[in-house]
Order: sequence, then structure tokens, then C-alpha cells
Amino acid sequence: MLTLFKKIWNTLKRPSVHISLGVLTLGGFVAGVIFWGGFNTALEVTNTEKFCIGCHEMQNNVYQELQETIHWSNRSGVRATCPDCHVPHNWTDKIARKMQASKEVWGKVFGTIDTREKFLEKRLELAQHEWSRFSANGSLECRNCHDYNSMNWDVMSDKARRFMKPAAERNQSCIDCHKGIAHHLPEQMTFKDPALDQLEQRAQGLSPDEGSNYYTVKAVTLYLDPELTQEAGELEAASPVKLLEENGDSVKLLVPAWRKTRGFGRVLYEDFGMNITSLVLEKEVAQNEELVQLVSEARVDEMTGLPWEQVEVALWTQSGALLPEAEDLWGYARDTYRSACSVCHSQPAEAHFDANTWPGMFAGMVGFTNMDADTQALVLKYLQKHSSDYSDGAH
Amino acid sequence: MHKTSPTPVHSRRREWLTFLLITAVFFPLLSVMAVGGYGFIVWMLQIVFGPPGHGA
Repeated sequence: MLTLFKKIWNTLKRPSVHISLGVLTLGGFVAGVIFWGGFNTALEVTNTEKFCIGCHEMQNNVYQELQETIHWSNRSGVRATCPDCHVPHNWTDKIARKMQASKEVWGKVFGTIDTREKFLEKRLELAQHEWSRFSANGSLECRNCHDYNSMNWDVMSDKARRFMKPAAERNQSCIDCHKGIAHHLPEQMTFKDPALDQLEQRAQGLSPDEGSNYYTVKAVTLYLDPELTQEAGELEAASPVKLLEENGDSVKLLVPAWRKTRGFGRVLYEDFGMNITSLVLEKEVAQNEELVQLVSEARVDEMTGLPWEQVEVALWTQSGALLPEAEDLWGYARDTYRSACSVCHSQPAEAHFDANTWPGMFAGMVGFTNMDADTQALVLKYLQKHSSDYSDGAH
Repeated sequence: MHKTSPTPVHSRRREWLTFLLITAVFFPLLSVMAVGGYGFIVWMLQIVFGPPGHGA
């Protein structure tokens, strides 16, 4: 190897004997022009949609999804191709991205996502790579076409303007709100927040005492028997419970609740007159008076005219989901609420609405966030339990 | 040519061959490696310092 390098070096440093300086320079010049032209042509070829969908991974997954969106066909006839959004236009970043593609070649060779199932499983991770890239560069590739300064607020719909104008004022990154506009969103969206994961692990490690009061750290399935074979219902996260009995890996929980004396009474709530869901029971369980024991007679909620009765339910569930206090859960929910909602607007104070207004408000907005189902339930409960009904001095 | 070449035709051909090899293979290969290496270094820097930010 070393001798080869020496030979090459010796050849290079020796002056030419037969070929004139002019010919050498001309030769180098022409070759340089041809090389650079060729290099750019090759680079451009790898920057075409045809090249991208040359791999069935792209052709069968993301390319099909793109065809359902406005970036594929629209009234003005301008469309975005793969590289418009996914390859940086700046030369250095483009070259770096092309080198990164070596990883994609690796994936192609070893079939990392060669089936739809494998792709779906990886989608979240792949999407997160693109999202973090867009977040870092302020959605630069979007803005090569879409420019805040060129937006005509007068022709924009009222709804769009309400969100776009403040976004323009803050020069907000497009991807903050517009995830999943050109391809499907990851189905699960369960990149579980490490903070919540930590709480769950703490609950897992805790050995609770019989007769003490706890809060559920996550939603759990309830069963009729300690062997956990007959499902009875679903208990929400952050619900106050009392531990009655332990049996191996199972625990029997006593859940205090209220319910409306209408219908099958399957949905149980945390408090009188408050639509804060605590647990949802199977129909047979909800109607069984031995399982759902009446604590006090029904009284009428003046607001709705519906009678509510206080009940208690004792059922089994898997151990390891209890925390002695709810403060950490609320802390997590508070942080999530503040960060997820403030992306698009300043979030209202928790006590700005009452417990029965929050669900509708929350349901209308949560679609703009990427909270997973567990977190959504927890945040909603946090908002309800810290609403004007539960705080002093708020309106 | 009024002077006879001191070197044989063999070495003249050899020099042309070397010249072509250098211009058509050696330097293009070196250039691609340099650009690729540059891209690779930028990629590695992006892994350490995060993806590229606003503007140039």
C-alpha cells in the first residue's frame, strides 16, 4: 500500500517530458469542466422524484400517501416533489444529506423497512427525524414556497387567519402545527414522554400498603377476579382509590365515584355533578348492585336536573400502577399542557373554565397536538381538577 | 522535428497514458472522495451539534 502511494506520488511530482504545459493545462481544464458538469448532473438525478420512488419502500408507502394530499394536486397546479421538502437546497446541507442517504442505501440492502408492517413500525422514528430537522431550520424547505410575507390575510379564511397571523408575528416554524400534511401521521404517536415513563416506573417499584389511599398512575383494566380473567371495566389515570387487598401480582381497589341515575350507569364520575370520568364499567357489572354499592341516595344537580348517586366499586387490577400522591402526575400534566398548547396560542388558565366546559374545549384542540391517548386523558383530568370548580378565587 | 527525440516512443506513449489516467480517473475520484468526505464530516457535526439551523 505504502509503495503504491510512493509510486503515485513519484509519478505526480515528476515534470512531463513530452507533453507541453499548454496541453496539460487544457486537458485539466476540459476534464474539470466535464467532471463538474457530470457531477452536478448526477447530483440532480438523485434529486428527482423518479429516483426517490425507484425504491419500493418509497414508492409503496410515502409516495402513495402524498397523492392524497394538497401537495400532490391542487387548484393552482403547483406540486411538491420529494426533494423539494426532504433535501436541503443549500449546497453544504445538501451534500451532507446525500451522505446521510448512505444509511438509506444500507437500509435498502438489508431490508430494514421492506414490508408495510416494518415501515409502519419505523414510521414514528423516521417522522421524528424529519420533524427535528424542520424544527431546527425553521421549516426552511416549506418556506422556499410558503412565505409569511406573501400571505394575503384578506383572502385567507377567518379560521386560518386566526392561527396564521400570530404565527407570522412570531415567525413560527410551520412544522410546529402542520405535522402529517403530506404523509400520514404515525398511528401510535406514542413516543411516551420520559417524565411519564419515570412516574410509571416509580409506581412499579412502590410496595403499597393495604388500607391506604393512592392514585392510579395510568389507565388500568379492572377485573372481577384476582386472577384477572374476567374484565369488568377501565379505570382512568389519576383516579383516587383505596387499596383493599393484595394477592400476588393483583390488588383489589376501592373506587369511590358518582353516577347519573340514567341509562345503564356504565360511566362513573369523580365528583357530584362533574363530568370527570373516573371509570367505565361493562354493562353487566354496572347493573350489578353487589359490585356497585350505593353509598348515598341520589340527589339532583340543579344545573342539569339530573339525579346523581354516590357509589363505591371494588375490583381487581394488576399491581404496580399506584402512587401515594397525585402531585407529580399533575406536574407532568401541567408541563405538557403548557408546552403543547402554547405552541399555537397562549393557553387559557386552568381555572378559566369549569370542569364541565373543559372536555369540549379540550376535544376541539387536542387534535393539533401530538399527545398520546394516555397523556390526553391525564391532561384533561388535570384541567378539570384544576378548573374553576376546584380553585378558589377564580371566575 | 529537426532533432531526434532522446527518449523512445514507448515512454511518450506512457506519459500520455499517465496523463489520461490522472485527469480521467485519479482526480475525479479524489474530488468525489473530497466532496463525499466533506458531506460526511458535516453529517457527523450535525449528529453532535444538532441539525442545521436558520439561514446560511
